[in-house]
Amino acid sequence: MATSFCSSISMQAPISATTRRFSLQKPVSIFNNGKTNNHLSFSLHRRSMPARHAISCAAKQETVEKVSEIVKKQLSLTDDQVVTAGTKFTELGADSLDTVEIVMGLEEEFGITMAEERAKEIATVQQAAELIEELVQEKTA
Amino acid sequence: MTLVSFPPSPARHFAVVVQVNYLSLSVVDLVAAVPLEKKKRLSLELMRISVMSQLQRSFSMEFPSLVSLKLPSPMETHLWYIRPDEVKSPSLLKHYSQLLSPSEKDQVSQLRGDALKKNALLARTLVRTTIARYQTNNAVDPRSLMFKKNTYGKPEVDWQNYKNYNNPPLHFNISHTDSLIACGVTVHVPVGIDVEDKERKIKHDVLAFAERFYSADEVQFLSTIPDPEVQRKEFIKLWTLKEAYVKALGKGFSAAPFNTFTIQSKAGTKGEYNLCKTSEMTTSSLEKTNNCNGGWKFSLLELADSHYAAICIEDDQASSGGAPMRVIVRKTIPFVEDELISESKLLKVV
Repeated sequence: MATSFCSSISMQAPISATTRRFSLQKPVSIFNNGKTNNHLSFSLHRRSMPARHAISCAAKQETVEKVSEIVKKQLSLTDDQVVTAGTKFTELGADSLDTVEIVMGLEEEFGITMAEERAKEIATVQQAAELIEELVQEKTA
Repeated sequence: MTLVSFPPSPARHFAVVVQVNYLSLSVVDLVAAVPLEKKKRLSLELMRISVMSQLQRSFSMEFPSLVSLKLPSPMETHLWYIRPDEVKSPSLLKHYSQLLSPSEKDQVSQLRGDALKKNALLARTLVRTTIARYQTNNAVDPRSLMFKKNTYGKPEVDWQNYKNYNNPPLHFNISHTDSLIACGVTVHVPVGIDVEDKERKIKHDVLAFAERFYSADEVQFLSTIPDPEVQRKEFIKLWTLKEAYVKALGKGFSAAPFNTFTIQSKAGTKGEYNLCKTSEMTTSSLEKTNNCNGGWKFSLLELADSHYAAICIEDDQASSGGAPMRVIVRKTIPFVEDELISESKLLKVV
C-alpha cells in the first residue's frame, strides 16, 4: 500500500487547445485505499483523448530544466531560443529522428527506458518531464 | 473603383468604372425607369462582379494557373520536391500563403523562426498544388482542398466536397528537412516517404542508437561496416527506409516499432529492398524467409546530391508481378516551373 502526495500542484493554463489537463490549487493528498498499484500519476499525452480528465502532478522544475537542456543540445538551439515546459518539439523544428535522439538523451540522463510508443507520443517538454518522473518513480518504488 | 451616377437624367444610368492595373474595365449598366431600391441592388451586384474580375485578372496576370498532370500509373510513384532556398520572391510566398486554410495558417504561425515558418508554408503549398494538378477532369482550386486524418493520424485528402469526382483515389505523403521538402503521390496504394540530409550528424553513437531502436539483423549489418562515415550513411539510409514503411502503413508508430522489422537490400538488384518481420522465435532460415512476404515495395534514391529519399508503397503482387517500383522525380516551384529529373541523374542508391 502506498500513498502519493503532490505537495505542490500549480494551476496550469491550457497549453494549447488540444491538451486537457487540470490541476488543483490547494495541496492535496491522494490515497489509494490499500491497492497495491501505487502508480497514481497519469496524464494525457495524446491530443485526441476526449472525456478523460487527468490530475497530474506538475513535474519538478529541476526535471523540466534538465529536459530543456537536452532538447536544446539535440536541436542545436541558440541561447535566445527559449524552451519552456509548454514548448512543443515540433514548434522547434524537431523531426522524428530528433525526437528519438532526444529520448535517448533523456534515457541516458535519467537512467530509464521509455517504451517506443510512449516515447513517440511525447509532444512537449512538460510531457517528457512527467513521463520521466513516472518511470523514475516506478524504478525506485 | 468608383460608382458613378449620371446626374439628372430621366433614364437614370449607372456606370461602374474599374481600374485594373493598367487596364481599364468599364461596365455600364443602363437601367431605365427602375425603382431606386432595385438600382441600388443592381449597382452593388455590379461592383461585386467587377471587383471579382479585377482580382482574377490581377491573379492570373502575375501567376499562371496550375498546369494539370497525368496520373501516376499503378505501381508508379511520383515524387515532387521543392528546395526552400530556391524560393525567395516575397510576392510568390504571399501567393502561397493565400492557398492555406485558416488552421494551416495557424500552425505555420506557431512555429518558431522564419525558416521553419517558410518551410511549413512550402510544404502545405506543395501538397495542395500537386494534388490539385492531378484532377484532370475538373479543375480544382488548391485552396478548396480539404484534408482529414485517418484513425491513426495519417493525413489524407477529404473528397467529400467533390460530388462529380471520378478519378481513382490519390494517395500522398510528405516529408521535410531544412533544405528539401518532398511529396510522394500514388494511385490506389498507400505511400510513405522520408527524406534526410545525407550529411546529417547523429549526436549519439550510431551503433548504440541502432542497438536501442533497430532490429538485431540491422545492428549486425551496421556493425560490420568499418568506416564510421559509411556506417553513419548506412544508418541514415536505413532510417529513411524504416520511416517510409511506417508512414506507408499509416497506423502510427506503435503498429510497427522499429525493432520488429528488418529492411535489407535485395541481392543482385540496385536500390531494391526487402522487408522482413523479425521474431524472437525465428531460428531456422526457412522461418525467416516466410516472414519476408513482400507486401511492400521500396525504393531509395539520392536527390539533388544532398538527400536520401526512401519511398514505400503497398505491393499488389498480382498485378505488379514483382517488378521494381517506377519512380518519376520532379523538382518544382509551384506556379513557376517543374523540372523532370532524368533517371540517369538519379543515383539509385545501392
